[in-house]
Amino acid sequence: MWHFILKRLLTIIPMALIVVTVTWGLIRLAPGNFYSGEKKLPPAIEKNIRAKYGLDQPWYVQYGKVIGRIVRLDFGDSLKYEGQSVNTIIKRHLPYSATIGILAYLFAVVVGLSAGIIAALKQNSGFDYGSMALSMLGLSVPSFVMGPILVLVFSLWLFILPPARFTGLSSLVLPVFTLGAIYAAYIARMTRAGMLEILRSDYIRTARAKGLSEKTVLLKHALRGGIIPVVSFTGPALASLLAGTVVVERVFAIPGLGNMFVQSVFNRDEPLILGVVAFLSIMLMVFNLIVDISYGFLDPRIRYE
Amino acid sequence: MSQKIFCRILTGIVLFSVGVVSIGCSNAGNSKYWGKIDVPKEDNLRYITGSEPESLDPQFVTGQPEARILIGLFDRLVEYHPKTMQPIPSLASSWETTPDGLVYTFHLRKDGKFSNGDPIKAKDFVWSFKRGLSPELASRYAFLGYDMKYGEEYNSGKSFVKKNGKFLPEDPAGASLDGCDLSGPKCLAVVTDEEGMKELKENDKDTASRIEGAEFVPVTADNVGISAVDDYTLKATLKQPAPYFVGLLCHQFFSALHQPSMDKFKKEWMKPENIVTSGAYQLESWDPYDQMTIAKSDKYWDAKNVKLNKIQFYPMDEQTTMMNIYKAGRVDALYNHTVPAAWNDEIKKFKDEYLLHPEVTIEYYTFSIKKKPFDSIHVRRAFSLSVNRANLEAFRKTIKQTADFVPSIFPEYEKARKKVFAELAKKDGMTEKDLEARLFDPAQACKEMKEAGYSVTDGKDGKCKVSDFPLDGVELTYNTAESNKAVAEFVQSQWKQNLGITIPLKNMEFKTFLPYRSAIEYKGMARAGWVGDYMDPFTFLSQFYSPKNDSSTGWWNPKYDALLDDANKDLDPTSRFEKMARAEYMMMMDQPVIPLGVAGTNWMKKPYVKGLYPNPGTMHPWKFVYIERDPSKWDHDVDKIMTEQSDPAVDAQVAALEKTQLDFEKSRTELTKKESGEKDAD
Repeated sequence: MWHFILKRLLTIIPMALIVVTVTWGLIRLAPGNFYSGEKKLPPAIEKNIRAKYGLDQPWYVQYGKVIGRIVRLDFGDSLKYEGQSVNTIIKRHLPYSATIGILAYLFAVVVGLSAGIIAALKQNSGFDYGSMALSMLGLSVPSFVMGPILVLVFSLWLFILPPARFTGLSSLVLPVFTLGAIYAAYIARMTRAGMLEILRSDYIRTARAKGLSEKTVLLKHALRGGIIPVVSFTGPALASLLAGTVVVERVFAIPGLGNMFVQSVFNRDEPLILGVVAFLSIMLMVFNLIVDISYGFLDPRIRYE
Repeated sequence: MSQKIFCRILTGIVLFSVGVVSIGCSNAGNSKYWGKIDVPKEDNLRYITGSEPESLDPQFVTGQPEARILIGLFDRLVEYHPKTMQPIPSLASSWETTPDGLVYTFHLRKDGKFSNGDPIKAKDFVWSFKRGLSPELASRYAFLGYDMKYGEEYNSGKSFVKKNGKFLPEDPAGASLDGCDLSGPKCLAVVTDEEGMKELKENDKDTASRIEGAEFVPVTADNVGISAVDDYTLKATLKQPAPYFVGLLCHQFFSALHQPSMDKFKKEWMKPENIVTSGAYQLESWDPYDQMTIAKSDKYWDAKNVKLNKIQFYPMDEQTTMMNIYKAGRVDALYNHTVPAAWNDEIKKFKDEYLLHPEVTIEYYTFSIKKKPFDSIHVRRAFSLSVNRANLEAFRKTIKQTADFVPSIFPEYEKARKKVFAELAKKDGMTEKDLEARLFDPAQACKEMKEAGYSVTDGKDGKCKVSDFPLDGVELTYNTAESNKAVAEFVQSQWKQNLGITIPLKNMEFKTFLPYRSAIEYKGMARAGWVGDYMDPFTFLSQFYSPKNDSSTGWWNPKYDALLDDANKDLDPTSRFEKMARAEYMMMMDQPVIPLGVAGTNWMKKPYVKGLYPNPGTMHPWKFVYIERDPSKWDHDVDKIMTEQSDPAVDAQVAALEKTQLDFEKSRTELTKKESGEKDAD
């Protein structure tokens, strides 16, 4: 078990470096640069800028510097936002995305799991049809439609919730709901499918034959197996939620990491792009590792040797 | 049973939505104003200024969102007039220029103070201007300081050329035995690195041979034409006359910066706890991507006339989000171009809130004039003439049609242009009607295509069909944006209808598009927009100035440069503008671009916000802005806000500021009169 974890943790380092290298190459291949604008710069000014940021050096020197910095976990200063280090920017914006992301995920898990379990237990009932229809709706309405509709109703007609900006608890309601709805729908459907499969399996029949109470059968045996698809979905889902979601952040003007990331690409802000990409890839790999470890606890058939 | 429950749930959902919609309907639609009117209890303004500011360094930033904030934080020699954006006295109470237009002297007010109480003296401006030009800062706006003598040379890292212990003059004909005097006419300066030398040898053999065997003396900050005569007198020496110079100084690049704090805190100088500002406001807090608050500075020299205690800026990118937050009554005003095109019909009904006035911008398409088929002037004219600009204006809703390059927002230039264009057109055998028909004249367009040698079949209403126009390698490229696409499709259909030519469209991500356009790699035509840097037609015309110009068309004419040089030497505004209009006429007759329209301001403000005007650059000197709690005094019918609906209180405040310069000019004229009178008596 520990051997497995250590091995996985060690592979994260070369993987992250590969991701960073590929990203760096792609940025360099993309035309345009961070200082260009509608107005063309006089050549002398462009030369000053290139000298200031070391862009006049050969590519391998620049690449060496980038890797050298990243190995020390210092992503350097943003090119767009003068005097702000990438580390500060990530530290500053991660909490916003994380707050909304975690709340949205909690909301999704609570609503999705309970709806999924009940629907599976009462298969073909009104609740089953109703909740699955709603989840279909949740899955098919994209957040850029859901967000504005919620704003229209609750902020512009009823004037009870703020339409945008991160200003307090009440301002969290709409973005969390918008973001969580899709995940809740997804989880509900996965839980239902997983539970239905498990409930028909041999070991549940054995558990019932042993004379265990229905509660124990469900919570101790069926649920553990039933939520495995949900757990494997959690890794990437949580990573992407923590990193922020562009649409929700833009619609609700939340200073999260997602919008920052997308803007940094448009701005050709190389250090910021590399920083966020490295951070995201590491986070994704760590979450996947946690998910893999948790399988062992949930499903007795899985063992790490 | 289960179906029954399902039906009940469904009914419940339907009833809930109907309820919500009906509540909604009862709330909307019956008000004079768009959304909630929630007058702030304190004198605090909540404003959306666009994207997150890149920085608070006035010499580093280039965007308008930052500029609007910096106007509040840093004072300059002159301030924008809140309506016209012409310069009005600020830290300089008055100024004068020499008859040759080469030297400007600014008289600073003695009560100017930084936010920490330090006095603002002439040396602070000297330091600030030189900082902006230093190659190490690598400011993208350094070219704004190029009018100052040796400003460009210092910024470009050039060196003076010394031979036999004497400096060489720039103009070989002006060489004297004593060599060039650095304080006199310009001395020669060249780039001395490998690249610069190579370029010189290739492109300018004369100079290359002149500098052979010479020694080089780097141009330093000390050589730049800005100096402090005494604590409160500042002298700027220009490389050539630039009558727009004072207007240029309203720009944030020319802010008074506080050297001690910037030296002390280095990279951290703009943190709220460290920053020392010179404007009406100081930085209170800055949470990036969330909000920035600036608070009134009691050290500001004009603090008694500053009415807002705080201004909160919310950085935001999404138009609909801004509109929502405005409608919900959580911000008081928006910046320009914020009303989405699809909402325009609805929003323009709110006449007390919606501001649409012309801007100091021009939208146009460039031609690649060195390549076929647009190397033909007739083809270029035909393509411009066949766009129905009146229809484009109606379609776009927020632009004003134009066939000229300088937007018609400079009243004096407009008069000069009318006169000059009529006169020159007459010489070219055109009538005034022909001039006006440049906005749309399909029949003439067809004639031009015939003249270009294409086979043209005439159709109805002056339209025609060009059958042998080479379409391979011709396209119209624009940077990806919904509005650019709509315009491109509109213009494409115009060419199809009027000339029978279907030009393919191509869109590109902005940063990819920029180098593609400026290297003139595009095939045929490309979209462009230009925002003026200062309130003078030269900011537009300079785009075609010099062989290395920024027009992305390949067009240049030495006569055009000569006309503009001549114009700038002219201190009489009327004849200066006439000369500039001649240059514009010359350029427009060659049609290197298709002017499409002048953008409109297109923003909203709540009626209780006063002193905030839809000026041509959406630059607001915040000290004129206030919140009016008496609804009877609120702004209404804001189409006329620049004229008869204007606010007398703001007008009086502006007049009081303008007075120092007017008085100074008056006393100067009296003095000259007296002097000449004395001479006569002698």
